[in-house]
Amino acid sequence: MDCDRYLNSIHERVDLTIGSIRRAELEIHLDGCDHCRALLQDLQRIHDAAAALPVVPTPEGAWLQIAGRLRMEGRIREETPVARAAAPRYAAWLAIAAALIIASGAAVMLLIPRGAPAAAPVSGTATAGAAGVSSPDEAVTAVDAAQAQFEKAIADLEKVAKDNRQSLDPGTSETIEKNLGIIDQAIAENRAAVRSEPASVAARETLFDTLRQKVSLLQDTISLINEMRKGNNAAAAQLVNKS
Amino acid sequence: MTTSKVAVHSSAGAATGRPAELELVERCRRGELGAFEELYRTHSARLFSLAVRMLGNPADAEDQLQEIFLSAHRKLESFRGESALGTWLYRLAMNQILDHVRSRAARTSQLTDGLDDASVLADAKSRRLAEGTIQRIDLERAVAELPEGCRAAFVLHDVEGLEHREVSEVLGIAEGTSKSQVHKARLRLRALLAERK
Repeated sequence: MDCDRYLNSIHERVDLTIGSIRRAELEIHLDGCDHCRALLQDLQRIHDAAAALPVVPTPEGAWLQIAGRLRMEGRIREETPVARAAAPRYAAWLAIAAALIIASGAAVMLLIPRGAPAAAPVSGTATAGAAGVSSPDEAVTAVDAAQAQFEKAIADLEKVAKDNRQSLDPGTSETIEKNLGIIDQAIAENRAAVRSEPASVAARETLFDTLRQKVSLLQDTISLINEMRKGNNAAAAQLVNKS
Repeated sequence: MTTSKVAVHSSAGAATGRPAELELVERCRRGELGAFEELYRTHSARLFSLAVRMLGNPADAEDQLQEIFLSAHRKLESFRGESALGTWLYRLAMNQILDHVRSRAARTSQLTDGLDDASVLADAKSRRLAEGTIQRIDLERAVAELPEGCRAAFVLHDVEGLEHREVSEVLGIAEGTSKSQVHKARLRLRALLAERK
């Protein structure tokens, strides 16, 4: 039997693209040919198994590295929410926290309601903060929210940096560790200052400055790790000099 | 007719889908990181799956995923909306991945041969699959053994669910070539999977 002439028809039947006349011809052939019937069954099983293969989850941290490189290449328009906010300082802190999270690419989806315009997170968060701040209690709540956002961004960045630290040479890693330690010490001291003087705007601002420094250092660390992994020594050197 | 797992050809909601895509692209061009993150969240999982299956190595695939999105950001200026954003990204991703496969093969002198029709047919005739479910891991390993040309067509068509017209657009080949590559891939897979029983 000339089975080869039915091969394309068998594939087209698997794809459900075969025309009715050719399908009828194929069915007649299949009735009398065990070999082609077995082939059709096998190809159908392969096709179905392939279609059922799952999506492979994107690695955690991949977006952070992409966002870091885009920043490094100057391809991102940095938002300046502080300048925009002639609103209360508390709102500006919220905006800074949100902007840093977006700049680092971390957990932005937690801040934006699904379906909201994607440009909204920075201004939306800031506006929400500004609109809601009308009493000292609300101000404290807004500041706490901003601090929580900073800490979330820091936790995400720390995890990525820690998981990939082996890409750095020991000397660089040690320097980064030392600088992070200095910033952590400053954060601890500034937190203590805020606890003793909760109403002090200066104490709050200083704390946010140090939190922001930590985010910035972690972002640079991730960019550096990425460049080292790529073997891009020039860009890595640029980052080290910046630090 | 198979159904694409991703809105490569945005037939559903075509009236709103395309303008929304163009608006998103425009915001990315203006340098809005939030817009580019939205684009990443929409397409990265499928592109990463494609990269893993083409490269057979998640670490390589992660590196290539970064390059794909950085390249996409640089090239968004050239996106005119003539094809769906998903198709445009698939094409860009496949070019990036195939360039990487070829440079890796050149470095290791492991260029893969094309599939010879006669040997494929002979293999397919002589082997049958065992009864029972095809194990995912076996199929993934067998796909990784396919030569790159038919692996690309097979992954796009049978795994990702693109139509041959879309596969031809992504790979820059004729529609007939796409069919031929997918058919050869299935026959080779039958032979490879039969060996594993």
